[in-house]
This record gives sequence, structure tokens and C-alpha cells, in this order.
Amino acid sequence: MPTAPLKEEKSVHSKSSGKRAAAAGFSEAQAIEQAKVGDPYAFEQLYGLHKRRVYSLCLRMTGNTAEAEDLTQEAFLQLYRKIGTFRGESAFSTWLHRLSVNVVLMHLRKKGLPEVSLEETLEPQQEDGPKKDIGVRDNVLAGSIDRVNLERAIENLPPGYRIIFVLHDIEGYEHNEIAEMMGCSIGNSKSQLHKARMKLRDLLKQSKAEKAVRR
Amino acid sequence: MSGTGERKKMTCAEFQEVLPYIFESGGHSSEMEHLKTCQICSDLVKDLQYIADQAKLLLPLRDPSPKVWDNIQDSLEREGLIRPQAKAQSAGKKKVAEMQGTRDRGQGTANFQPGKRN
Repeated sequence: MPTAPLKEEKSVHSKSSGKRAAAAGFSEAQAIEQAKVGDPYAFEQLYGLHKRRVYSLCLRMTGNTAEAEDLTQEAFLQLYRKIGTFRGESAFSTWLHRLSVNVVLMHLRKKGLPEVSLEETLEPQQEDGPKKDIGVRDNVLAGSIDRVNLERAIENLPPGYRIIFVLHDIEGYEHNEIAEMMGCSIGNSKSQLHKARMKLRDLLKQSKAEKAVRR
Repeated sequence: MSGTGERKKMTCAEFQEVLPYIFESGGHSSEMEHLKTCQICSDLVKDLQYIADQAKLLLPLRDPSPKVWDNIQDSLEREGLIRPQAKAQSAGKKKVAEMQGTRDRGQGTANFQPGKRN
């Protein structure tokens, strides 16, 4: 059961941002250097390249479109203010991604949402426990999940579970990184992730059963 | 007790208690042994692995609405990093583009002032 490595950024170009990038004639590295000295086209190019990834991260972590847009805006404003401190010690995408995660976590802390340590308050104990599956035999999920179902199930996760699941399983952060970002123990991060996956399994099985009834 | 007697077999409850902490490492021989002989726990691990694998395949969803870029410009203008006059010119260009049906939000960024930072 391998651990997901920290994913490298896949640049996401919209058609229009691609055109603008071509017009500006910058590689990403050049755009970063130009943005550091305040070149507006370079900053726009960086926005075009990374807006989808940053927005998707915010949307998956918050589950709310308006909040995700506000946080995307805040992340890029911070990028504009802080890009001068980027030294190239990590990939730019990794740096921006981490900056964006911090923006979202800061926002969630201000809102006072439970992130990790309040797991027992998020779901009733009996639903969280590891013993739920004991003695129950049903079909495995393999082959039955489509992207839409999985996205919907993730949306329906309690916030504390969703954040850990998104950071670990989708965005590829390791438990030690999550623990550091969220100020919890590695064990707590593992425990939360497990509960998130268990909850997703329930949601997906439920969805699978409902589909079967409709047929 | 000689110490070489048969070890007590792990139960499902014991296995599932430690599963969150061994999921990535694979666990010790007793856990692996339990997995080999228990269909229920084996199915559970398969499902959880499948969910984790599918999650890794999820792609970024979609672009934010164009108003996000507009708001970024507005905020930078308020901070004195862009020129309001240039922004007005940009808004004019935008309106023309809208009328022509070829609106390109990217055109609105020419109002940044290079090097003018707080």
C-alpha cells in the first residue's frame, strides 16, 4: 500500500491563457522572473497557468463555490505580494500550491470550523469506529466508481474529513506535511484520513445500491 | 508456556483498529496473515485502496469565474499597485470586446504598474 508522492504540478492552460502566454512569449520560469519585477503580463500568465489548479483546491477543500472564489483571489493576491520571496528551492507550482493551502487553512481557522482534532464531534462515534465492517460482507467497489460519484461523495464528507482527504489522496501531501500544516499529530492525520475513506466507502456503496434499485 | 506455541490469531476488530496506521506501510506479518484469511477485511482494504487510487486520478475541476480576476485587479488597485486610469481604459476595451463577442479577460491586466510595490 504505497504512499502517494508529492505530485508535480500539471500546468493547466485554458485556450485563452495559452494564447496570451504565447503572445507574451514567456516560459514559466521567465514569467516568474518577470512577475518578480512587476511585469503585468507575466503575472497574468501565471494566473492563467495556475488558476484552475488553485481554484479546484479551494473548491474541494471548502465545498463552496463563493468561498473558493474568494480564496482563489486571496491566494493570487498573496502570490503577487510574495513572489519576490520565491527562490526556486522547490517547483513554483509546489510553492504556490502550499501558499494556497495555507490561505484556505487560515480561512477555515478564522471560521472556527473543526479541522482535525474534533473528529468525535463531526460524526457519531458508532459511524466512525473501525468495527463497522465486522461481520458484514458486501460487494467490493472496484470498477463501480465514476468521477462524478466520487466528487459528489467528497463534497458530502464532513469538513474535517474532507480537508485531510483532499490534501492527502488528491493533492498528494504526506501525513507529516499535513500534520505540520494543520498542527496535529501524524497519527491524527492517519486516523482522520482512514475515517474519511470509510465514510466515502459508505457514501459510494449507498450510491451504488440506489443505482441498482433504479435499474 | 514455552514461547514457541501458536500465536493467537488476529481478529477483525484488532485488524481494523490498526488499519489506519498500517495502510501505507502494509503492516506486520500478523496483519498480513489476517488479510489472507479474512474476506471481509480483505474487501475493506481493497475498497479503501480503490478509493485512494481513484482520488489520485481526479483532475482540477474548472476555472474560476472571470470576476475573480477582476476582483484581483480591484484589490491591487486599492493597494495602489495598479493605476485606476489604466483600469478605466481596460474596462472600455472590455466593453468593446463584449460587444464584439470576443471578450478576453486577459486583456485587462495591462494596467499593472511594473515595479510599483509596497
